[in-house]
Amino acid sequence: MERDKTHLEQVERWAIFVRENPNWKFKLKPFLDSQIIIARRAYEELNKTKEGREKIKLLRGRK
Amino acid sequence: MRRGIDERTILDKFVEDFCEVVEKHVKYIICSGFVAIAHGRSRGTEDIDMIIEKISKEKFLKLHRDLDKAGFECMQSSKPEEIYEIYLINGDSVRYTLKGEFLPEMEIKFVKDELDLEQIKTRQKIPFTKLNIFFSSIESNIAFKEELLGAEKDLEDAKHLRIIYQGKIDEEKINKLKKRIGAVRYGKR
Repeated sequence: MERDKTHLEQVERWAIFVRENPNWKFKLKPFLDSQIIIARRAYEELNKTKEGREKIKLLRGRK
Repeated sequence: MRRGIDERTILDKFVEDFCEVVEKHVKYIICSGFVAIAHGRSRGTEDIDMIIEKISKEKFLKLHRDLDKAGFECMQSSKPEEIYEIYLINGDSVRYTLKGEFLPEMEIKFVKDELDLEQIKTRQKIPFTKLNIFFSSIESNIAFKEELLGAEKDLEDAKHLRIIYQGKIDEEKINKLKKRIGAVRYGKR
């Protein structure tokens, strides 16, 4: 699905906020950290089964 | 340059710790998505892109040993000779994570052409990010994202960087770089 122009407007609004607020990282940290935490959880679930471990290998492109 | 621990994200800590080891062995740059994220772009990423100078196998073995000591492991192989001979020297990237963690990953590859080499020569620490690591220049990141990568997220990353550095970006440098990217990577004249 193609994103509409309101998405790009949000990218602009947020960039301006970051540029003008030195403490932007405190706002962004929970969002960035939660993505890693959720992704780690998903990998851990995959890693519990043989099939899942094979999928992880595929995801990682091991030769 | 290091800030209070509360402000650093999981990604920030991972990247700074990894780069601290790498810098002792070889010149590197962090480029692409993490440059935008370190400037506040609100999107996630699982991997951070690092380009390093081409080094001998002996030098790489030492680098790998120190990464191992610092708690990192390579996803492709635990044997550094294999990592070097099967992947790096053939132009393929390898991925390191913290031992026992699936994410984030540092994706490392050797320089592949004069454009990569020049990015390493002109690498810089960027005060805005408050991170003690070397990045490729903002202009080169914008040029690569707009000219070579071109996915929606890349164009949005470039737009974000353009807004952060509005009035401070060297457009002539970006345009020259775009032409060189066309020539070197696509054979355009």
